[in-house]
Amino acid sequence: MQVSSIELDSVSKRFGSVEVISELSLTIHSGEFIAFLGPSGCGKSTLLRMIAGLETVDGGEIRIGGERVDNLPPGARGVAMVFQHYALYPHMTVADNLAFGLRNIGTPKDEIARRIEEAARILEIGHLLARKPGQLSGGQRQRVAIGRALVKDPKAYLFDEPLSNLDAALRVRTRVELARLHQQTRATTIFVTHDQVEAMTLASRIVVMNARKVEQVGSPMEIYGRPATEFVARFVGSPAMNFLPVQIRDRGGLATAALGDGSIVETDVPLAGLPSGGELRVGVRAEAIHVREDGSVPGRVEVIERLGDRTHLHVRLMDGSTLIAEDKGFSRIQPGDTVHLAFEGATAHLFDAAGLAYHARQ
Amino acid sequence: MAASEHIVGRGIGNKLILFTVILVAVFWMLPIAWTLLLSFKPNSELMISTASAFQPPYTLKNYTDIFQSSGVFRWLWNSAVVSVGVTAGILILSSLAGYGFARAEFKGRDVIFILVLLGLAVPEQAVIIARHQIFSDLKMHNTYPAIILPGLSSAFGVFLMTQYFKAIPKDIDEAAMLDNASRFKIFWKVLLPLTIPAQATLGIFSFLGAWNDYLWPLISATKPEMFTITVGMASTQTNFAQSEGLGFLMAQAIFAGLPVFIVYLFFQKYIVRAVAGAAIN
Repeated sequence: MQVSSIELDSVSKRFGSVEVISELSLTIHSGEFIAFLGPSGCGKSTLLRMIAGLETVDGGEIRIGGERVDNLPPGARGVAMVFQHYALYPHMTVADNLAFGLRNIGTPKDEIARRIEEAARILEIGHLLARKPGQLSGGQRQRVAIGRALVKDPKAYLFDEPLSNLDAALRVRTRVELARLHQQTRATTIFVTHDQVEAMTLASRIVVMNARKVEQVGSPMEIYGRPATEFVARFVGSPAMNFLPVQIRDRGGLATAALGDGSIVETDVPLAGLPSGGELRVGVRAEAIHVREDGSVPGRVEVIERLGDRTHLHVRLMDGSTLIAEDKGFSRIQPGDTVHLAFEGATAHLFDAAGLAYHARQ
Repeated sequence: MAASEHIVGRGIGNKLILFTVILVAVFWMLPIAWTLLLSFKPNSELMISTASAFQPPYTLKNYTDIFQSSGVFRWLWNSAVVSVGVTAGILILSSLAGYGFARAEFKGRDVIFILVLLGLAVPEQAVIIARHQIFSDLKMHNTYPAIILPGLSSAFGVFLMTQYFKAIPKDIDEAAMLDNASRFKIFWKVLLPLTIPAQATLGIFSFLGAWNDYLWPLISATKPEMFTITVGMASTQTNFAQSEGLGFLMAQAIFAGLPVFIVYLFFQKYIVRAVAGAAIN
């Protein structure tokens, strides 16, 4: 098994006059499962395709296993890619789909057979080898597409939104299988997705991208718990983090945020380092806002979303702003009820006008 | 059985449609049936009245007379060579051009494609004198290349194959690139097999067009040994063919159309699909 690191050194990409990737540098460690996460058009797929060799690199270098590859054709880079729409060869059987790449590099027949057998065993597609892609379900096609990558024993696996065409149940199952596969192979893997759940559950590190630049690189819990920017805080986590404009007061060196209605959220964010002027907003996740009789922030419930294990309450505060709070699954609160909310100030973040985040000390 | 039940089984509306379709089909086939019937009648009887077609006697003499004509097998062979040559040529050239227009990026591609499409609007008659002059200057008349070459410039073929290649997702090419396939291998092993339905459609239309072509072979082939079947058959008709040899004429028509009919039988599926596809698109 080959396992290699991938280094992106100030890579840039232009489509005409539009710069879609600008001097991006990133190191993906050997054996790491990394996710490129971001909304459509953020450049994540372009970046993956640049690594694969399907897009040219206009500036900078890409190295795989220490070897510069950005001047090599896709087939010579030693990577395997799983496409969003599978991209299986429709006129070939599953076995031929798996064998095609190996035949092209002159792999001996018995070795091809051995690798196909091994991949078929791991992915449980042995009974599909004689079929053509048109005779397979979406999930089976996805397995074959993964199998086609697996047989090549690549230096790195590149996944371009591979689960987005599957139904919800199959997506969850395939996600678990991918995680299991990575545990078995320990291969360097890049996984492009716009689905934060996929990124959070699969990746050991997430690269959050927005508007063609990297917003944050970190472990799933770093991304979730200490978002670097307002974009990351909004994009990761469901429901999105609540943002409320605040006035800051000093509480022994820590910031106390006064909401629009005058109620107080005591954060653990150090006052030092906060911008002296300009608008600040407090960011609090729904699970850190609870309904309590002694809650200091009153509001009226407008919408209730029952999720089974918990209930999301869309609450309008006295100053007209809205937020989402969390209550227990069997919540008795009804739309129109007045509730009192208590904020877990220790998990709150502050964001400046530019969207930059300020966190409590770790 | 199941299919016919499916068609007629639902409501009076569907039955009406089916009845209309059958009626149109019968109406469409009447001239062919009439031709076939006349072809088995002695010419002498048809000279008196074509109503005799419904009564015996019937004869194969009109067909055996065709074979008496010394050139007929040669003309059949010529038609086969020309039709296969034109079909193969169109398939090869249109596939390559279609792949180029659909996948290769080069300066002026769209302009060239439009120029090719403009070929659809130019009738053969408009260029036939110039074409005749060119082949005359090249001293190529009365040769297979002279009859075949003009048929290879198929704007329709290039258009059809371009659209078909464009419809194949580029992911497939990219997957093959990552599988270490060369550009030619991607074309030959991956994409071309996916265009077989379009190739079949184009092949059938090209073959039928070449087989039935009359004008250019008539101009280019002046020696009887280079006649195609359409030109050859026409050359055997006398001034009074309509009145004195109607049965023979009909037998000629059936005989000339037989290969086309056989081709249709074998490739019926693709022809129907092509026509249906054109209707849907």
